[in-house]
Amino acid sequence: MTIDWWTLGFQTANVAILIWLLGRFFWRPVAGMIEQRRAEAQRLLAEAEAKRGEAAAALAGVDSAREGFAKEREAILEAARQSAETARTARLAETAKEVAALEAAAKARIEKERDAAEAAWRERATQLAVSIAERLAARLDGPAVRGAFLDWLLDAIRRLPESEREAMAQDGAALEVISAKPLDPAGQEDCRARIGDAFGSHPGLTFKVDTALIAGMELRGAHLVVHNSWRADLTQILAEMTHDDRA
Amino acid sequence: MKSPLASSILFHVGPVPVAASVVATWVIMTILVLGGMLVVRGLSLVPSKTQAAFELIVATVDAQIRDTMQAEPGPYRAFIGTLFVFVFVSNWSSLVPGVEPPTARIETDAALALLVFLAVIWYGIRAGGLRGYLKTFATPNPIMIPLNFIESITRAFSLMVRLFGNVMSGVFVVGIVLSLAGLLVPIPLMALDLLTGAVQAYIFAILAMVFIASAVSETKPPPAVSS
Repeated sequence: MTIDWWTLGFQTANVAILIWLLGRFFWRPVAGMIEQRRAEAQRLLAEAEAKRGEAAAALAGVDSAREGFAKEREAILEAARQSAETARTARLAETAKEVAALEAAAKARIEKERDAAEAAWRERATQLAVSIAERLAARLDGPAVRGAFLDWLLDAIRRLPESEREAMAQDGAALEVISAKPLDPAGQEDCRARIGDAFGSHPGLTFKVDTALIAGMELRGAHLVVHNSWRADLTQILAEMTHDDRA
Repeated sequence: MKSPLASSILFHVGPVPVAASVVATWVIMTILVLGGMLVVRGLSLVPSKTQAAFELIVATVDAQIRDTMQAEPGPYRAFIGTLFVFVFVSNWSSLVPGVEPPTARIETDAALALLVFLAVIWYGIRAGGLRGYLKTFATPNPIMIPLNFIESITRAFSLMVRLFGNVMSGVFVVGIVLSLAGLLVPIPLMALDLLTGAVQAYIFAILAMVFIASAVSETKPPPAVSS
């Protein structure tokens, strides 16, 4: 067996060249691609890990925010509840006050209306009483009553102060004698004589009739009137009763 | 009668004879390089099935280097990987009718062993310098220098002989059976020859790694021991 040295040299060079060529065009690029993919995968893993960290942080943030929302919601609800309670209390107090005011006003109005109604009824009753008295007094107008009224007129004249009586009855003064019914001449003469005696002088008397007097006899001068009739009495009574009611 | 072990010269370039094994090697080189370039041209981060298959080959070679040499595969990948691929493809080239595997010739196996021998020296010097590499011959003591020197030659020689013996014997057996029995009879032997070829490629690459790793590790200083 012999060795062909040329062939040995060729094969040595061939394999050496093949080693270089494959190293240059196959092993290094493929290994580089594997390394590149490994680096890329590692980068993606790192990125994914970072993203996962970010997501976890974001999730924690969301959880925290959600917890904050729940607390805030509770706080808002509590505040609203307290506000509503305060408003309800205030509204109740205000309503109670308004009700009390309305009740007081209603009571006052009822009291006032009742007083007014009572006063009106009293006035009407008084007027009715006066009217009844007028009718009753009208039936009493007779000679006896007229004599009585003449006597009361003379008493009134006599109770007048001296100065007023003299001023009223000085000679020549014109006085009117008002009666509810006309006096006959005898009656007029009698009245003239007795009134003159009461004054102590002789004033000029004229006789007039006023049915509104109901019954009685009044004396009217230029500055003084002597009331002496049912009408004057009833008017005074009515005024006094009305005044008492209003007082 | 011509020896079957002698190289069959196809043609001469001037005074230089060109053997059939050299031409077969050129063809294999062309196929491997063009195939490699074709694979590399379509590389992408999202691999196709073809790319994934080739990446699997590279990753397997890297894993073997890591496991055997206890080192990063970068500096050794091209050498070890190419040795394995070339031996593998050469061994299996016997499947092509009329083609004799280049590794069935002693010159090709001698060339491969010579390259491993040189690579051991290169990587040894690269790892520990010339002095460091030469010191490895004096381990464990200077008396071992001749033996270590002879060992470095004989283990390269054993590489050559092992590969040559296995492949050449397979080719011879198939040839003899084919000449005696007929067309289809040697097929089981050819299948066995394929298995032998794959195993021999693997063994050749593993032994190359072991020799290189031995040279590299011996030139490195021992790790510091801390108590």
